[in-house]
Amino acid sequence: MTALLLAALLGTRGDDPSEALGRVLARLRERAARSVVAVEVERSDDPEGGGFQGQVSAHRDYYNRPRGPVSGVIYGPDGHILTSFFNVSGRIRPGGLRVFLPDGTSRPARLLGSDERRDLALLKIEARDLPTLPKAAPGEAAPGAFVALVGRSPDPRVPTINLGIVSAVERMGGTALQTDVETNYGNAGGALVTLKGRLAGVACHVHPESPWGQSGGVGFACKVAEIDRVLERLKRGERIEAEKVPFLGILPGGGDPDAPGLQVGLVVPGSPAEKAGLREGDVLVGIDGAEVADFEDFRGALLSKKVGQEVVLRVRRPRDRARKEYEELRLRAVLEGRPGE
Amino acid sequence: MTAVLLWALAQDPDLEAVLEFERRVRACAEKVRPAFVFYGQGSGVVISPDGWVLTNYHVAGNRRGQRVRLAGGRPFTADAVGWDVHGDISLCRLREAKDLPFCELGDSDALRVGQAVLAVGNPFMLGNRNWEPSICLGVISARHRYMDNPGYFDAIQTDAPINPGNSGGPLVTLDGKIAGINGRIDVRRFASRVNTGIGYAVPANQIRRYLEAFKAGGRVREGCIVGLTVGEAGDPRLEGSGAYGDGVLVAAVTEGTPAARAGFEPGDLIVEVEGLRTPNLNRFHGAVGNWPQGETVRVRVRRGGGEQELRVLLGDPAWIRERQMNLLPADLGFLPAGEDDADGVRVRSVAGEGPAEKAGMKAGDLIRAAGGTALRGWEDLREILSRLRPGEELRLVVSREGKELDLVLRAAPR
Repeated sequence: MTALLLAALLGTRGDDPSEALGRVLARLRERAARSVVAVEVERSDDPEGGGFQGQVSAHRDYYNRPRGPVSGVIYGPDGHILTSFFNVSGRIRPGGLRVFLPDGTSRPARLLGSDERRDLALLKIEARDLPTLPKAAPGEAAPGAFVALVGRSPDPRVPTINLGIVSAVERMGGTALQTDVETNYGNAGGALVTLKGRLAGVACHVHPESPWGQSGGVGFACKVAEIDRVLERLKRGERIEAEKVPFLGILPGGGDPDAPGLQVGLVVPGSPAEKAGLREGDVLVGIDGAEVADFEDFRGALLSKKVGQEVVLRVRRPRDRARKEYEELRLRAVLEGRPGE
Repeated sequence: MTAVLLWALAQDPDLEAVLEFERRVRACAEKVRPAFVFYGQGSGVVISPDGWVLTNYHVAGNRRGQRVRLAGGRPFTADAVGWDVHGDISLCRLREAKDLPFCELGDSDALRVGQAVLAVGNPFMLGNRNWEPSICLGVISARHRYMDNPGYFDAIQTDAPINPGNSGGPLVTLDGKIAGINGRIDVRRFASRVNTGIGYAVPANQIRRYLEAFKAGGRVREGCIVGLTVGEAGDPRLEGSGAYGDGVLVAAVTEGTPAARAGFEPGDLIVEVEGLRTPNLNRFHGAVGNWPQGETVRVRVRRGGGEQELRVLLGDPAWIRERQMNLLPADLGFLPAGEDDADGVRVRSVAGEGPAEKAGMKAGDLIRAAGGTALRGWEDLREILSRLRPGEELRLVVSREGKELDLVLRAAPR
């Protein structure tokens, strides 16, 4: 018995160590892929014939979408499937959603709920006892931790795996991890797992307008804790829309680098800033309790507020610019949503 | 025994090996992230506890008074102190900085192709809300990449994803030391500016050789040997030049230049600059550009069956002097000429209403003595001038049209 065990042990250890990573990834792919599905999406506005003949601009939305099936993650044994909201957004033909399970079978799915800000969608299929992935503990997917993205695209029968690390842990307002795993239209919606096969998040935020494009080494995954925060709402069928970004309506001006504050270069006509009485040349030094020393402070302070909220702008208005004499003002502004949103 | 073996078998040695690698990456991330600087639209890294920061010239330029942030959001005001426009590096100083977390410069000549590296940065300015930098893993793809315009003469190539916003951030080895400063990428369509697996960093060793000049302040130029006309060995237009890869052939040497003074001769084959091999023109320019102008480097040449070591001043002497004049503590109002007279220092120009003009100095004067010391060249005068404080006086002896004149130069008060 001892000799047998020794032999078995040597058998694993005696191999070329450079093969270790390959074997780890092969096993990880096999394990994680049991809970990763492919989702086929047919949209009602697919142009007829599918040809290009001058139709690309008319059907931009269609052509800018992933071709073929996309990836999804089993998130409940009773048939709950998560994917990226972008994957299933747009007008879908009745009966146009289909989930391909790892066992090769497929079944129709319906869209239960979605969250635009987290770029998540919850689908439901009729199934029982589906295998789910264990969840990563808080702190397990820390910066530098190895993570792999497992998807099922373009062939639902063949799971894919891409390796990378966690680049940052507080992105998209804290809802997403950033990773350098190559993320694209195919594996977006798939499972981002740790080396031990625990689910860290669902890959998302890859869309035609994303400045980071596809596979550029900047990808994202909605964290499991954030998924759990909205899961019940999604199950109830909520369509959670992206929160409106608060808007004040100023552009920064030149300013004096040695005097703290944000100099107002332009006040947008009709904006909350104008209504509050803010003028070009004013120096904004605070919003409510927060100090504003530069544009980034301003942006940070503004983004911590909500549309419709009243804020106090602390402003220094030049009385005599040459003598650096200022009048201290407190102006009240009601924040609005960005125009056109 | 059986129990121990059973336990050992239950462990996954492959996974353990990869987890060990992961632990090193995580430890490195923990070490380098706090030293990261959010620098405008780009990135930077603290290299000393008292606030010296490296970034790209195309990020910091020569600007003073820029608001920057340390990882985590602590704000500072940064001043660019020294910069290399072509080499794309600015050395900046954070005001009122002390006890800051920092990264050391590593040894970029010791990098191996395939070695793991992390790129720390702020791609797409994703960290501007909570000041959390981003880290990406990759390997050293190649070393000594040569690119003209601007002069990334000796760049490190890496596949660690580098994107807009990463510029100026450090490329670090897993011991947490800086291998280089990330600055450029190659993309298929420039408009998209998304990484394709090809990024370039300015190597740490080059930066280290420029540091002293950067700290002295102002623009620093990359080294070149003035007065050499060179070709590549094996070039069919250069008869009998040997085989490609042998070295760089000296085709001509211009009289009166640093190259002539160093003793270069037509037909010399340059094989090494300061220990760096120079098999072709790109590596030659790359090696020479690893030092700033004003430095003197050793160059090995093959000549007539033997090898010789020459010492040559890099750059245009006139420009170097002009720069040194600008860095002197006192304003004197004249510029020395480039030529090196054995018996003094020739005056190239005298600024209107400056201290030199008030003293009666004229362009073309030969300064023969200063403060009672006879001058054998610019270095002597520079030594004396560097001790002169604003408002102090200095007696000069100059020759003009065969006559000797005594001048009293009074350095401008601050």
